[in-house]
Amino acid sequence: MAETPTRKRSWAERLGDLPPQDLKTAIQTLADIIDAPSADGLESCVRCGLCAESCHYFLDDRDLRSIPAYKLNLIIRVFRRQIAGSGRPRRLAPGLDAATIREWADALYGRCTLCGRCMINCTMGIQIPAIIRKGRAVLASLGLVPDGLDSTVATARETGNNMGITREDWVETAAWLEDDLRAETGDPRIRMPMDAAGADFLYAVNPREPKFYPLTLTAAAKLFHAAGRSWTLSSRAFDVTNYAYFTGDDALAALFAGRLREAMDELNVKTLVLSECGHGFASNRWEAAAWLAEQFGREVKSVLEVVAEDLREGRIRLDPDRNPKTVTLHDPCQLVRMGGVIEEQREILKRSVHRFVEMTPNRKDNYCCGGGGGQLSMTEFAPRRKSAGRIKADQIARTKAQVVASPCHNCLDQLAELNKHYKLGVDVKSVLELAAEALLPSTG
Amino acid sequence: MNLLRWSVLAAGAASLTALAVRARWAAAFGGPETCAPARGSARRGIAYALGRGLLPWEKESARRHLASYLAGILYHAGIFCAFAVLAALAVGFSLPHLIVLLLRLGLATGLVSGVGLLGKRAALPLSRALSRLDDYAANLLVDLFLAFALAASLDVRAAVPFMALSVILLLYIPMGKIRHCLFFFRSRIHFGRLLGRRGVLPPGAASAS
Repeated sequence: MAETPTRKRSWAERLGDLPPQDLKTAIQTLADIIDAPSADGLESCVRCGLCAESCHYFLDDRDLRSIPAYKLNLIIRVFRRQIAGSGRPRRLAPGLDAATIREWADALYGRCTLCGRCMINCTMGIQIPAIIRKGRAVLASLGLVPDGLDSTVATARETGNNMGITREDWVETAAWLEDDLRAETGDPRIRMPMDAAGADFLYAVNPREPKFYPLTLTAAAKLFHAAGRSWTLSSRAFDVTNYAYFTGDDALAALFAGRLREAMDELNVKTLVLSECGHGFASNRWEAAAWLAEQFGREVKSVLEVVAEDLREGRIRLDPDRNPKTVTLHDPCQLVRMGGVIEEQREILKRSVHRFVEMTPNRKDNYCCGGGGGQLSMTEFAPRRKSAGRIKADQIARTKAQVVASPCHNCLDQLAELNKHYKLGVDVKSVLELAAEALLPSTG
Repeated sequence: MNLLRWSVLAAGAASLTALAVRARWAAAFGGPETCAPARGSARRGIAYALGRGLLPWEKESARRHLASYLAGILYHAGIFCAFAVLAALAVGFSLPHLIVLLLRLGLATGLVSGVGLLGKRAALPLSRALSRLDDYAANLLVDLFLAFALAASLDVRAAVPFMALSVILLLYIPMGKIRHCLFFFRSRIHFGRLLGRRGVLPPGAASAS
């Protein structure tokens, strides 16, 4: 008789039935992963509540549970009762109960995009997103990552990229994109180089690009070709994303980031250039070194830095009249507020489009689009994500722009959804797409 | 009076020791160390976090809640004035009249601000829901500290209850939320270092050039 395969219990089912021993290990996990900035932050919150309006969730629903200090204090309560003062879980302290874990799951996964706007506005400067991420890590250690996000991470772990693209498909896609590029430009020298050892940089892309948005990939190829750049893709490791960044699982995050580092070594490439991806930048540029305990820093750049440099040094020329519509820019939180790439995208857009208008607020103060923190993968919270996205939709509408550009594929997906949901009537494009549309033939 | 003076000094020493132990414990968690090459300057980030970054035009939350922000500034200024009065009494130092007048002004405005913040916390439903017993206890204790400091600056007979209350306050500091007097600086330094290295702070540091 054939065995019936055991159905994996859903996130909600797992949350509803937490074994008591799991709660004990959760406290130990929290004690193990807290670092000094987090410990200082957990000791600092005075519950002044001034952070409330910095959060797009709170601005949308005015719910106590959406106030960053409330979310933070869910962790503080456990930390102070269980760990504070000793660094080890206390035997006699009241336990972390199932109800608290369920509240953590709803607030830390479902009411936060790790955008960091609360940290910027916190009187104490508490690194709230880092602490929320540690709370998520505790939940992850209990197998309580929401299903959609969990399966995205599992796909990346098992296949090497978050969309499960096979190596053959990836290589074939790059080859036909190269054919398309040659046909479109009439230039037989333009390439989508694969595994070119010794190139100046390895270009890592978001798997959404080969799968759904090949135009952003060909846009990058056109710009690199026009600038005379020596670059390569890797057939083995190409995924710039790192969804373990959102689950707080540092071991998996290290595995994902390490793949790109290994591909650099294999191809003898010194620089890693990251496609338009907010969290991909924050994880590969800033966090990976700590995850991988690297002794020496690697050169990791955003593609925006490369293109802006090519513009500045005259290696490429752009004609803004080729993009006559009014364009505004959405700043991806992980690239800008948490990443420091702030002006390059502006520099590129100002030279790529006829009229560029800023959103208000912008740069480090910009509102999250609502798609960050893994929210796009978590269908459990999709209605809340779209509702909280209203803050961004209003911001876009106020600019009266016809095009919204953003250098992040997660943001582009959320912006496209907001465009439809709130009937904004705008085009949603990546920064590279607009730059490639404005690209003038190289004179060299 | 002498016993009270020694009690204040002992409570102050105990408080500082307990704070140092807590800080050492928090620091012992370590990391995260990173060798990711900096894009900006940690030092400039820290300077911003502890200086200009605290001003209301630099921070939306302060601009949105300007009254609370100003009340917070005056409240903390009042606390410094109260500690100045306490220090003078504890070591038996007689302050110049002008300084005493300025301290009284600081204490009075600090007290009004503190009571106002306490009232706000109790009156606004979201603030109330966010608050814990410690929030009220700490605020009330500090309000009383300011009130007694003001009284002591006006009439020496109030010095005894003021110093007695100070002993309680000093012992409470490391146990409750008032320990943010230390952790505020530590958190702001971490914040400035993180975003300073990344070129986010100070604003404009990341200008593409």
